[in-house]
Amino acid sequence: MSTALTGQQLGLLYCQQCHSTVRGGRVAYPRCPRCHAHLHSRKPHSLVLTAVLVACAAVLYIPANILPVMNTRSLIDDERDTIMSGVLVLLQSGSWPIAVVVFVASIVVPLLKILALAVLIYSSWRGSSRHRLQRSELFRLVEFIGRWSMLDVYAVSLLVALVQIRSLAFISVGWGALAFSAVVILTTVAARTFDERLLWDESK
Amino acid sequence: MPVIICPACDLVHRAAAEQPQRTRCVRCRAILQRAVGGSIDSAIALAATALILFVFSNLYPLVAMNFNGTTRAATLLDTTLGFYRQGHPTLAVIVFTTIILGPLLQITTLLYLLLPMRSGHQAPAAGSVFRFLTHVRPWSLVEVFMLGTVVALVRVAKYAQVLPGVALWSYALLMLALAALTHRTSAEQFWRWAERRPA
Repeated sequence: MSTALTGQQLGLLYCQQCHSTVRGGRVAYPRCPRCHAHLHSRKPHSLVLTAVLVACAAVLYIPANILPVMNTRSLIDDERDTIMSGVLVLLQSGSWPIAVVVFVASIVVPLLKILALAVLIYSSWRGSSRHRLQRSELFRLVEFIGRWSMLDVYAVSLLVALVQIRSLAFISVGWGALAFSAVVILTTVAARTFDERLLWDESK
Repeated sequence: MPVIICPACDLVHRAAAEQPQRTRCVRCRAILQRAVGGSIDSAIALAATALILFVFSNLYPLVAMNFNGTTRAATLLDTTLGFYRQGHPTLAVIVFTTIILGPLLQITTLLYLLLPMRSGHQAPAAGSVFRFLTHVRPWSLVEVFMLGTVVALVRVAKYAQVLPGVALWSYALLMLALAALTHRTSAEQFWRWAERRPA
């Protein structure tokens, strides 16, 4: 790979928006001639921004899992469901494939995203050259599966809309759902501020 | 010599074919180029189909629930209104943006861009609008909402009889139409259409 050249070495810029290649001039803030997007050889302040977003997500991950996402009030009982107890309810009602899907999307995926991004930030900050391909593929996995975490919030939104028979059963949303959506949004933005090209940059 | 830069690792590749095929980066295996060659007309037809499905999805109830003789139906908009009424406007905005506004913007911006292009014109500010579209796409979560609906129905099926509504089917079809539309209107494809000389 020693002969391989990068766009940065050749003074070429890649437009993330319209996928064109632009020769970087002496302009301080180059823009894409085709779609007018701002061009950067590497996303500005990528590691710091991503680290801050991931840290916020990690903090909010705690209330997202402790606080109830859904409260069910019925004639017989009064239940407060967190994400995890919701999974257990699904498991007990015999629909284990759905329980597994919710568990993976709501518990495993957000945790994986936070941990994976933390590892990627740390390794690119150190300029590590080990397992580059695996780290690159890990990032693509995080980017691809992240959106599915909103699953439970949507399930609650529909239950809230449907189960509103005040005398019999009434479902309301809990603060956990807000914390949880914040985790999903923060990690999604973090995956976009992270510049995966940093994984491949040789440290000077 | 025309070159292509890998979006994921910045490695410079020599551009080969005139009609790009799907190629991957030799170093990090990211997708370097996507295949192009679809027609504008089929993309417009898909966008128009998606728009009709979007209207149906919003007009008709998504699901209805029969609970001891009391029937209650919910539309797509009811899901966000429910959050709003319970004092969670932020959650309402998040759900509204990702399941209603996002798909609508995806469809309308593409129609705005593609319709003039069909007759060889470029819509005003086409570059910025397409850029806007690439920012909207990650926040349109139609397929996630579909799966969320399945989860909600499984949860409630214990207590009540659940009746799927027209919007459930049209929203599922909208999900497929949007996936096909996104696939056919990649940045490579869009700019190939935009830069072609009018016949």
